[in-house]
Amino acid sequence: MRNYMVRRLGHSVLILAGLMALLFFSINVLGDPVELLVEDEVSQEVIDALRERYGFDRPLYIRFGEFYWNMARADFDLSIRHKIDARELVFGRLPNTAVLALVTWAIAMLGIPIGMLAARRPRGIVDRFVNVLSFAVISIPDFWLALMMILVIAVQFDLLPTSGFKGLGPEGWKYILLPSLALCPRVMGRNAQITRATMIEELGKQYVSTARAKGLAENTVLYGHVLKNASISIVTLMGDELAGFMNGATITETIFGWPGLGKLLIDSINNRDLPVITATVFVVALMVMAINLVVDLIYTWLDPRIAYR
Amino acid sequence: MQDGTTLAEKVNPVAAFWNRPLVQAFFNDPITVISGAFLVIVVLAVALAPLVSPHNPNDRQVKLRHEAPFTTGTAIDRSSGSPVEDQRFFLLGTDHLGRDMLSRLIHGGRISVAVGILGVVVSGVIGIFLGLLAGYYRGLVDDAIMRAVDVFMSVPLLFLALMVLYILGPSFTNIIIVFAVGRWMLYCRITRGVVLSLREQTFVEAARAIGCNDQRIISRHILPNLITPLLTLAALDVPRNILTESSLSFLGFGIQPPDSSWGLMLAAGRQYITSAWWVVVVPGMAIFLTALSFNLFGVWLRAVSDPLQRWRWLKQSKESKEAGIQF
Repeated sequence: MRNYMVRRLGHSVLILAGLMALLFFSINVLGDPVELLVEDEVSQEVIDALRERYGFDRPLYIRFGEFYWNMARADFDLSIRHKIDARELVFGRLPNTAVLALVTWAIAMLGIPIGMLAARRPRGIVDRFVNVLSFAVISIPDFWLALMMILVIAVQFDLLPTSGFKGLGPEGWKYILLPSLALCPRVMGRNAQITRATMIEELGKQYVSTARAKGLAENTVLYGHVLKNASISIVTLMGDELAGFMNGATITETIFGWPGLGKLLIDSINNRDLPVITATVFVVALMVMAINLVVDLIYTWLDPRIAYR
Repeated sequence: MQDGTTLAEKVNPVAAFWNRPLVQAFFNDPITVISGAFLVIVVLAVALAPLVSPHNPNDRQVKLRHEAPFTTGTAIDRSSGSPVEDQRFFLLGTDHLGRDMLSRLIHGGRISVAVGILGVVVSGVIGIFLGLLAGYYRGLVDDAIMRAVDVFMSVPLLFLALMVLYILGPSFTNIIIVFAVGRWMLYCRITRGVVLSLREQTFVEAARAIGCNDQRIISRHILPNLITPLLTLAALDVPRNILTESSLSFLGFGIQPPDSSWGLMLAAGRQYITSAWWVVVVPGMAIFLTALSFNLFGVWLRAVSDPLQRWRWLKQSKESKEAGIQF
């Protein structure tokens, strides 16, 4: 188990190094880093000054070495816009995204019982309804859903504030509800789908017939045997959802003015704030890897047959 | 065939087509029929956009701004030199510049649907090629390709997309590049998995024994087995691409004016959401219904291509009904 952990961690570090190399080369080789820093029309003097200030006039391999060295120390230079350490900026936003992710994720867990309900009678009325509904929610553009929710819940009925952020404390709960409600349907739909699909698949296996033949109650079969075996796929999916959370969050955070990592990335791209962009991508990749690692560990716990050596 | 059928029925091509299990399974499921029909309409409408759109999508009629759906207005046609008054019916209303929403929807759909399908084709070709290399030749090639897959999988698609568009600048071609670099891993993984299991099977060994070269084994023996899983993935990936494109355009990083896509229409209408709901609801519904139809069709495709699930979708035969077999 310990050997596995060490190897798994080494793998993650390698992937992160590969990703950052990819980022470095796409910024420095595919694009011109100075052009990525400035607005469209600036004088040649400004460009030259910036080139010198950030050392872009030095050879590529020296900058690459420096880039890795800075990354190892998690030092990403000052934010061009905010004049503070990019690392601090990113780590300051991290809790906001994490809380939004966890609240959304918790609401979306409701998809699992819905999927189980559908799997009890494949192609029955409930199943068809859940099937179409779950595909409907994953087909809605998330920014459109967010706008509609603002229009109906916040503007029309005035139940919740339209957007904003009042900290993560008790007075801020009102502000997190609408963004997470706008984010959760997609995750909930996917949860319902995968639960339904794996449950139906498991129900077709022979151990289910055996369990039924020896006279177990249907609920014992469903929850004691089928759900337990299906849970491996469900855990994988939920890990994926948490890791892929930034996809929806970037848009939702932008619409609701939620100061998380997604909004930070969009703002930094709009401000051409390269140090913050690099730092954000680094931290998000780090988060994704940590989540994948935890999912792998939960596997071993759920399915002892997976022995890591 | 039952004994009672006549020769004439046997050769009737329409009946033969109709009786194919896949066709039967399709027409047995009303949801799939509706989504399939909707997709045909959308694809035909965007393909024949200049023919089917009622008005010029870029014709501004400032006096007719924000006309509600189902209204008729007097437009001034300046195309022939001298202004001519023209009674026009706006089925889906007009936008903030007095342009016909339906015509803009049909023309904007060309880019949205094209991005969805082209994105799948490009990422699919790259992924299948690399997956074949990895699965068939194993060894170092396999290791290198699979590590690359891991690297690309470690960033969320939208982050990858924003980075690519930040570095390369927003354009139609670059959005296709986004999907190529952001989605090829899925095709690569599936292809590799199938190839790994196939290359050990007897029929591949037999093909090699009679002297087929690698190219022939891959194209004639392995690729045909890949069609179903890849087609299913592709059908489910088109709506994802359409949704991602609309998000990117909405954020201002995707399609740029004067071109138009559904996401861009939505972004342009966003500030008028309280005074003219249709400028936001119409393009939103277009994205939603198209994505939903692709998803429902894709999931049907997956179900009927899975031998363990297929029977649920096929019509119960007369014999099994008489025998009292219950599904």
